[in-house]
Amino acid sequence: MSYYDIDAILTDAEKIPCTFQLDVPDLGYLDNAPTQPLKAGTKVNLPLWLAEMLAIANTGDPEGRSFVTFDLPSALGNDVIQALKADPRAVPLRDQSPHFYGLATHMMDLVSEDKLPEVVRNTFVTRAAEVALHARKLGGVGSRGRTAAEEGSNLGFGGAGEEFLRGLDEWERKLFRKAHDGAKSGKEWMENIRKH
Amino acid sequence: MPMYGDLGNKLVQHAKRTQNLAHLPPYQTELVRAVTREVRDLDRDVAALLEPFQGSFDPAEHQATACTLLVNHLSMRRNKRCLLAYHRTRTDKLEELVWNGTDILDMAGAQQAGGPGAVSAPDGAAGSSSLSPQEEDYFRQYGDLLAAYKGHWTDIDLTGSLEPPRDLFIDVRVLKDAGEIQTEYGAINLTKNSQFYVRQGDVERLIAQGYLQKLG
Repeated sequence: MSYYDIDAILTDAEKIPCTFQLDVPDLGYLDNAPTQPLKAGTKVNLPLWLAEMLAIANTGDPEGRSFVTFDLPSALGNDVIQALKADPRAVPLRDQSPHFYGLATHMMDLVSEDKLPEVVRNTFVTRAAEVALHARKLGGVGSRGRTAAEEGSNLGFGGAGEEFLRGLDEWERKLFRKAHDGAKSGKEWMENIRKH
Repeated sequence: MPMYGDLGNKLVQHAKRTQNLAHLPPYQTELVRAVTREVRDLDRDVAALLEPFQGSFDPAEHQATACTLLVNHLSMRRNKRCLLAYHRTRTDKLEELVWNGTDILDMAGAQQAGGPGAVSAPDGAAGSSSLSPQEEDYFRQYGDLLAAYKGHWTDIDLTGSLEPPRDLFIDVRVLKDAGEIQTEYGAINLTKNSQFYVRQGDVERLIAQGYLQKLG
């Protein structure tokens, strides 16, 4: 995760539900009302890059209140967590957030939620195996009588796994692409060896 | 309701798409300008907010103002990161193109012929090049740097192919007039549609640049 990492920047744009703890006259626009002051207790969805710092910044308040408090986004809400516990492969993570794991790890840095790390870890491990399986299958089918260019774009390839592959988050997509390219290169290399 | 940082995000989404393309889509002049304008506006707001305090601002005393200042500051910082990441993605791509020996004018031509990127970003430069003038400079100067660096070694071509050649000599067809080149075996005049049996090492760059086509 570097400063210039495009995916990290996009992950930081994911919004989480926040509640303002004080009245701020100039920030009404955050709640779609630029002419009104923002009242304490107002709930707004703020991107991570804003929410995180507002939540942890030192406000100088004698009671130690922060500017905002925040909750877990719906992508990590109870419904999703329960579904992931039941079967990680059945949940299209992409519909929850295109950067599901990035969002989850970021949130884990901010809140101490006991069961979240375990669920997310288990989700990744289970799904990664499935991703690898699909990647290898496509690599094997694809290299028979197809050009390299056709094989290159394989997301959305028809078949049983299509629905699962559509639901991959960005990180899993990368993993899929790497696994697929790896399987393909390995195959090509083997064929080359046989020829010479 | 648009919010500070939304435009910067758009820019980064462009960068994300760029990463997966072989060519460089048009530079988002308008978007870059809009994001920098946003930073200037925010900076003006900050100055106006701090003005009445005459340099003795106490955040604990004016929490609401402190909060607004923090939001403005973070928005500026966010925009800066988006701008830098966008340009860095593009310069990375430019450097890659220089190393591959891709001719940038050729690329602009290919894009006009209907590359996928040409459609997705109609608000970029409508002219021949998809680069900003600064990027063209960067491309040229990086090319010069690479040439100077490569000049240290006369017996090895740093940008040559990493694949060991199977045959020392190959058949090539000339796709575009490339003028006369010097080889160990004398000069060859490369005129369009002619065919030659040449040493691979002599013409590798011309193949990469699209002047010659390898046969067989």
